[in-house]
Amino acid sequence: MNNHHETTIQNKTSMEQEGKITRRGFAQKVLGLSFLSSLTLMNIPQAALAWMDGTFSERDDLDDALKVLVKTYNDTEPYPHKFYDALVKVHLRNLDFAVRKGLEKEHADHYVYVLGPVVERHIKSAIPKLGKDIFLWGIFERTCCSYQLYEHINIKEGERSFPCPYKAILEQIQKSMGTYVITWKDVCEKWCSLTWNGFAKKAGDIKIKIKPGETCKVKLA
Amino acid sequence: MTQISRRDFGRNTFKWGGALTLLTALNFPAMAQTFDYLGPIKKNKVLQRDDLDDALKSLFMTYDSTRPYPHKFNETITKAQLEALECYILKGVEKEYVEHYITTMSPILKRIKQLVEKEGAEKGLVSMFEGTTCSYQLFERINVKPGERSFPCPYKGKLEDCKKWLGTFTINWEDVCNKWCIPTWSGFSKEIGININIQPGEECRVTLA
Repeated sequence: MNNHHETTIQNKTSMEQEGKITRRGFAQKVLGLSFLSSLTLMNIPQAALAWMDGTFSERDDLDDALKVLVKTYNDTEPYPHKFYDALVKVHLRNLDFAVRKGLEKEHADHYVYVLGPVVERHIKSAIPKLGKDIFLWGIFERTCCSYQLYEHINIKEGERSFPCPYKAILEQIQKSMGTYVITWKDVCEKWCSLTWNGFAKKAGDIKIKIKPGETCKVKLA
Repeated sequence: MTQISRRDFGRNTFKWGGALTLLTALNFPAMAQTFDYLGPIKKNKVLQRDDLDDALKSLFMTYDSTRPYPHKFNETITKAQLEALECYILKGVEKEYVEHYITTMSPILKRIKQLVEKEGAEKGLVSMFEGTTCSYQLFERINVKPGERSFPCPYKGKLEDCKKWLGTFTINWEDVCNKWCIPTWSGFSKEIGININIQPGEECRVTLA
C-alpha cells in the first residue's frame, strides 16, 4: 500500500520530472492540451461527457454506496476485503466455467463483442486525432469496467500498470474451497490478454505488449 | 417505565453532577486507568485500514459519472454477470453454468449448512445475502426482515442500459430471473438445508418458506 501511496500521491513536480503522469495530471493534459484538443473531444460527445462530469455532489444515492464501502472494509476475515472483491470473483468463476467447457476463447470474444461498441464508436475515431494513448485511456481509467476492478491504475504516456486483482483472490478461493481448475496463468492468458487484445483489434489494430505480474503492465507496442 | 437512551443517560449524568462529577471521575485513578478512551478507534476495523484512499477514489470516479446514465458501485459486476449469462445462454450451457456455481461453492455451503442446523434458517439468509460480498456488493441495498430479504434488482435497469447504449445484448430480464437468480438461490438453499420462496421483481424478495 505504501508503495502505491508513494507512486500516485507523489509531489507532482517530482513526477513530472520523472516523466510520470498522475491520474489528475493526465486528465488535465487530455482535457486541457489545447482548444483544438477540446474541440476534438467535443466531437465525441458521449466519450467526453460520460466520464467525471462533476456531478458527484448532486447524487442522492451516496448513502447506499458509502454503507457498502464501510461494510466491505469492515470485513477483514479471512482476508481484508476490497471494493472489487465480488467483481473479481464473478470474473474468476466465469473463467473457471469457460475453461472447463473449453469456451475461454468464445467467452473472451463475447465480452469484447458486447462491450466493444464503445471502443469502435468513440476510441477508434479519436485515435487519429489524439494518438494511440487514448486507447489505453479508453480501456483502463476511462471505464468503470477497469476502475472498479483495479485498486489503482498508474498512468504513463503509452503505458498503464495496476496491481493484479485476481492473484490473491484466486489463492484465497483455492485455499478456502479448492474447487477451481484455473490457475493464475490461465487468468492472464485466457482472460486478460484475450480481452485486451480483442479491444485493441476493435480500436483499429492497435498493438499492445502485456507484461503480466503482481503489478501488471500494458504498453503500446 | 421511562426509557433513557445511552446518549441521554450520558448527558444526564454529567448535567446533574456538573463539573464536580467530571473532576471526581477524572481524579479517580482506577477508573481513569481502565477507561480505554481510544478503544473504539483501535477496535474499529475500517479505521485500521490503510487502503481507503483507493476505495474512495474508485467510488468518486463511479458516482461522478452520470452520463449516459448514473453509474453505481455495482455497475461492473452487474455487467460482467449479464455478459457471462448471455454468453452461456447463447451456447446453451446456462444450466451447467448455474450448476458450476453451486458445485464450486459446495465447501462453503456445507459449512453454512452446519451453522443453519445450529442457529436456524435465518442464518441461511444471512449467509446468502448481507453476509457475503457477492451479494452486498451486487445489490445496492438489502432490506433485512426476519425470514425475508428484499433488494432492488440490479439487472433490470442495467440490461436496459446495455441494450440501449451498446445494442449487443439479446437476453431478457426474465432470462436473468429464471436462468440465473432463481436456480442459483434455489440450489444454494437446497445445499444449506432451507426452503425459500422467490418473488422476482424490480424489488426482488426472498422469504423462508
